[in-house]
Amino acid sequence: MTDSAAPADLAGRPFDELLAELQRIVQALEAGNLPLEESIELYRRGLELHVACETRLKDAELTISQLGRGLTEQSSGADEES
Amino acid sequence: MAERQPSLWDIPADDLAAADEPSAGPMDPAPSAPVRAAPRILRVSDLNRRVRQLLDVDATLADVWVEGEVSQPSFPPSGHCFFTLKDASSQIKAVLFREELAAANVRPEHGMQVIVHGRVRAYEPQGVYQLYVTTLTPAGAGDLHQRYEALRAKLAAEGLFDDGRKRPLPRWPRRIGVVTSPVGVVWRDIANVMRRRYPLGELVLVPTHVQGAGAAGGIVRALKRIYGQRGIDLVILARGGGSLEDLWCFNDELVVRTIVASPVPVIVGVGHESDVTLADFAADVRAPTPSAAAEQAAPDLGQFPAILGRLHDRASTAMVAALAGRQRFLGEEDRALMRLAPDVVGARQRAAELVDRGHRALVVRATGARASSEALGDALRALSPAATLERGYAVARLADGTIVRDPGQAAAGDALQVTVARGTLATRVETASKETQA
Repeated sequence: MTDSAAPADLAGRPFDELLAELQRIVQALEAGNLPLEESIELYRRGLELHVACETRLKDAELTISQLGRGLTEQSSGADEES
Repeated sequence: MAERQPSLWDIPADDLAAADEPSAGPMDPAPSAPVRAAPRILRVSDLNRRVRQLLDVDATLADVWVEGEVSQPSFPPSGHCFFTLKDASSQIKAVLFREELAAANVRPEHGMQVIVHGRVRAYEPQGVYQLYVTTLTPAGAGDLHQRYEALRAKLAAEGLFDDGRKRPLPRWPRRIGVVTSPVGVVWRDIANVMRRRYPLGELVLVPTHVQGAGAAGGIVRALKRIYGQRGIDLVILARGGGSLEDLWCFNDELVVRTIVASPVPVIVGVGHESDVTLADFAADVRAPTPSAAAEQAAPDLGQFPAILGRLHDRASTAMVAALAGRQRFLGEEDRALMRLAPDVVGARQRAAELVDRGHRALVVRATGARASSEALGDALRALSPAATLERGYAVARLADGTIVRDPGQAAAGDALQVTVARGTLATRVETASKETQA
């Protein structure tokens, strides 16, 4: 539900960018010199980012890949460490 | 040395004879020893056998430790290794059979200083004596330390270890290259740490040997390979603990130079806390262990739910403060209207409730956002004097802007500015009379 509710532009962006935008919004709100309508709009955007960040953390899964072939069996024993 | 070092020539001839065929061999001393006999003519094979036997019965030669430098090693298809072991003034041929070669943790290289254990035997067919090596290890730690120190000083003098060269690590790495052995606990530890702390990233393993012959070359190749990849933000070079010899490839000059040449920051985590290799000096960040390297590579996401919660609270607090400010401002107009329109009291109360609702909505999570924004809009509209003016009420101000609440504030002839719903009227007071009823 949170995923489908999140605006499309948030889905493809890395976590740290979302977090950075959220931090900027909070700072802008705290500065307190914006027109009310803009504040409300920013606040709404902040909540979307907040949800997107939480979702990202909840669903995160480490990706592992390997470059090149594995080592040959006969030599791999030498690398075993106790 | 001085004590009972049997030399070849100390062995009594009789003993040798006994070790040989029991009787009447060609080497039997002549029965009448003191008599000068014609010189014996030996065959070559007899001579060589005698030498072999001499060497074979020598206890010292059967179990020797020798330090020397490897020269011209060869590796024929048989799988054995032949080389010459030498020092400044002398040399001896040496053989390392296939099985022992496989067991040795280094491959003999030309110029390598080694300590070998084995026995000396003669090889009859060729009339040579040689060292049959059973174990071969790089020469003593003292020597390694010297080489380590010499290389460290040289590379430091080039500035390769300067602090100024150290690059800061990226805060949020996307792809992290890991150069290590794919077997053993090190790779597993790194993957586990990243899975637990920073599952957002991608680990790219570049498997290589991190010990034994050829490890240094393998590490260099692996590093260059990862450097060639797109999107790598950071490289971890890691290995578990081991002896100075085990970790020696991390003191290899080319390994050090390849680390220095990295286009992205490199974290080196080799061995245990106390193991410091030249690779550690060359790294942008030195981690005491492989797990610590993984921990330094990225932030711990476990702290971010709390951070996000705090950001949310700050945003809500800022919004509430913004609204409260507006409310105060509107209150002034509001008070003026109260006298003109008794039902403003009701409107104000309703507005206050809406603002309260708005505040409550603000502190609930995302789903409340739109509702609270609408409620805030309603509240602001209700608070605005425009709504009241729209109903036909007006606000009268003196020339200095003071809102007129009491006829006593104005005298006949004073200018009044009367604000109605859609504009302002400039008027003058004709009479000012105090009334009891509004």
